Amino acid sequence: MGSTSKKRTFLIMLIPILVLFFCFNTLPLIRGLIYSFTNFRGFGGYDWVGLRNYVDLLGDARVGNSYLFTFKLALAATLLVNVASLVMALALDSKIKFKSALRGLYFIPNILGALVVGYIFNYFFTYIVPFLTNTTSILADARHAWIAIVIVCAWQSIAMNTIIYISGLQTVPEDVYEAGSLDGATGWNKFRYITFPLIMPFFTINMVLCMKNFMMVFDQIMALTQGGPAQSTESISFLIYNNGMAGGQFGFQSANAVVFFILIVTISVLQMRFLSSREEQL
Amino acid sequence: MASLSLQHIGKVYPNGYVGVKDFNLEIADKEFIIFVGPSGCGKSTTLRMIAGLEEITSGTLEIDGKVMNDVEPKDRDIAMVFQNYALYPHMTVRENMGFALKLRKVPQDQINKAVEDAARILDLDQLLDRKPSALSGGQRQRVAMGRAIVRNPKVFLMDEPLSNLDAKLRVQMRAEISKLHDRLGATIIYVTHDQTEAMTLGTRIVVMKDGVMQQVDTPTKLYSEPCNLFVAGFIGSPQMNFIDATVIERGSDIVLTFGHNAITVTADKARALRSGGYVGKAVTLGVRPEDVLEVGAPAEGKRLSEPISATVSVYELLGSSVMLYTDADGASISASAEAATTARTGSVVSLVFDLDKLHLFDKQTELAVCH
Repeated sequence: MGSTSKKRTFLIMLIPILVLFFCFNTLPLIRGLIYSFTNFRGFGGYDWVGLRNYVDLLGDARVGNSYLFTFKLALAATLLVNVASLVMALALDSKIKFKSALRGLYFIPNILGALVVGYIFNYFFTYIVPFLTNTTSILADARHAWIAIVIVCAWQSIAMNTIIYISGLQTVPEDVYEAGSLDGATGWNKFRYITFPLIMPFFTINMVLCMKNFMMVFDQIMALTQGGPAQSTESISFLIYNNGMAGGQFGFQSANAVVFFILIVTISVLQMRFLSSREEQL
Repeated sequence: MASLSLQHIGKVYPNGYVGVKDFNLEIADKEFIIFVGPSGCGKSTTLRMIAGLEEITSGTLEIDGKVMNDVEPKDRDIAMVFQNYALYPHMTVRENMGFALKLRKVPQDQINKAVEDAARILDLDQLLDRKPSALSGGQRQRVAMGRAIVRNPKVFLMDEPLSNLDAKLRVQMRAEISKLHDRLGATIIYVTHDQTEAMTLGTRIVVMKDGVMQQVDTPTKLYSEPCNLFVAGFIGSPQMNFIDATVIERGSDIVLTFGHNAITVTADKARALRSGGYVGKAVTLGVRPEDVLEVGAPAEGKRLSEPISATVSVYELLGSSVMLYTDADGASISASAEAATTARTGSVVSLVFDLDKLHLFDKQTELAVCH
């Protein structure tokens, strides 16, 4: 194949994707940024308001609460997911029977849609748990509803994180463990001094992905609480969607989305920097 | 340092594969024992059983008189140097070497002293703050040795520690290990498939094949009196020539014939062949290339055989000597000749054997009949 023909094939494959990406990703991003400087309500006309939306964001209690809730949820879920999936990965990487079958079984939550899982757990928390414990639903409790969301988020995310940790554990050379066992590194010492430092790159990626995903939590809120009770489980994404689309605050929530975008990028970059500095090349 | 006793040690894997069969060996304090053999012969498995990294299926392992079969590797007071060094990639050289002591909660100043002493012996002083990824293969190898030395163990185990190094470095490190053995007075068990390493390092060599110990002896004895065809072929480079020959009685002499060639053996070998009932039967004649001489080559004090006519098929100049690969009536014979030889590929040469260096093996059992 000549180089012109090769180039043409390359362009035929590339251009449609670029056009689609631009139309459905870049353009909305730019439009969103533009709307963030307006008082657009989602319909009708709008006026330029400069940085007023951004200034108003700082004083808005509902927005502030949504940020606090989202951070609390993201931190709790990230910790829970990483601890649980690391324990699970260590168990599934050890010499046990039916290892492959169990790995497949534990991965099932990941292939289910978040909304499906959310609605199943909604039923579980609304009917089954209260029936078994003779209490009211946790989802109706403004102080504890967030815990239910953490549980659902974690239940689904542990699967993928476990797989990433298992692949990490498999990169540690067996003879390093053997050298460790002769040196006296067994049990907790083995994990602390050998396993964990050597799977640090996988820990980094899992922490960053978890934090990012949980900061953007939406489906689980939608299916479980719709931000309630008393707006106690309103995540940033949910608030942006709810008030932006149905609350006539399209411009204001666009400004919120821009701030949120910058925040997530900043957190991810900082996490990568901090955790990568502790990684070791094998 | 310590003595080891391996009694009827066996290893059978869960799939039924037998890795090691009835291995018996007494290792004295300060001995440098070499396990040698081809890949899959069970030498590394035996070493790993001593280390506690493989379970012993049958038999008893004792270190300093204490049974160690079910003792954890860390409690056997053994240090091991792995083929791939198995250094901790996230630790500096200093941390790698001091890791075992740190886990034993030895005070930091003592750890530092032990690490620095070992680093001095191995010339690692300048590398202590580097990570393994910043070291060359030879340096990593020395760190692995250092990690073992720092622990001051009863026994050092080395699993093909030089096999990942280039030829030049291997020779250099071989000498280093030998010096280290003299300096530390350590009991060392060393696994290799390289018979040169085995011959140069070991005080005794264990030759293994298919999980079975073939012969345990000093390098000299192993070379001059191999107990069977396998050991004879495995030890020595270039390899020993093996020729199928028939034993014939000619008057009072015993003659070995192959093709049109006949060799009259010495009286002691004749006696062994007669008493073994080999007259009229086929045996395998073994002779090392350095014991095959060209007629006319210096041979003071040697009893030589009748000349054999052979055609040179390959001529290899090795610098100080020449290897001639020849064909004598269908028998392949390699000879280590003087560099000044006029023989070249295609020439016909007259070869003689050093009669005192002939080895005869039973054709069926492959065991040595006489040397």
